Amino acid sequence: MMLPNLTKEGRDASRKRMGRIGKGLVAAAALPGLGGCVEVTAPERPIEINLNINIRQEVVVRLQEDVRELIQQNPGVF
Amino acid sequence: MNRRMKLMVAALLGVVLVAGGTAYAHAMQDAAAQLRASGVVGEQADGYMGLVGSAAADVRAQVDSVNIQRRARYTELASQRGATIEEVAAATACQIFASRVGPGQYYRLPDGVWRRRNGSEPVPRPSHCG
Repeated sequence: MMLPNLTKEGRDASRKRMGRIGKGLVAAAALPGLGGCVEVTAPERPIEINLNINIRQEVVVRLQEDVRELIQQNPGVF
Repeated sequence: MNRRMKLMVAALLGVVLVAGGTAYAHAMQDAAAQLRASGVVGEQADGYMGLVGSAAADVRAQVDSVNIQRRARYTELASQRGATIEEVAAATACQIFASRVGPGQYYRLPDGVWRRRNGSEPVPRPSHCG
């Protein structure tokens, strides 16, 4: 790394600062491995079959257009 | 291997990959339709596919796969429209029952009984469809 032409003290100070920034970066990179890790696993039985459908007809009507599009855009799934 | 041979091999590999990919995409494109046509899988009033009887492990895996994808789509639409996943799924079932269950294919209303669509008779709409 090229340091600007400073006095010896100035150079030492910027080296220290860079060191601190470097340590911070390492700590930030290590964080996800510690506490920030969110495990996303598919549940073993993802779909509970419950045929007792409790839905208001107005909701069905409201969703009708969206649902039609959904089916048309995903031919392998529907 | 000289340069020309290498090029030919690369071209051949490309053709094989593209053909394979297209075939795969094609097979995936009617996964749900093929399952319905198999006679061991049907459509349920809750918006998911189900096994009509006992089925081979690979069929079960395919049904699970389709249902997981459906659930992902339902979840997405539900969050966009401020509805619940179950509401979107049930609303989708109305359309599936009306347009996707073919003659001789199976469907299951909230009473839990699997029925077979008789010829060109329409599939009864689940009561929540209005």
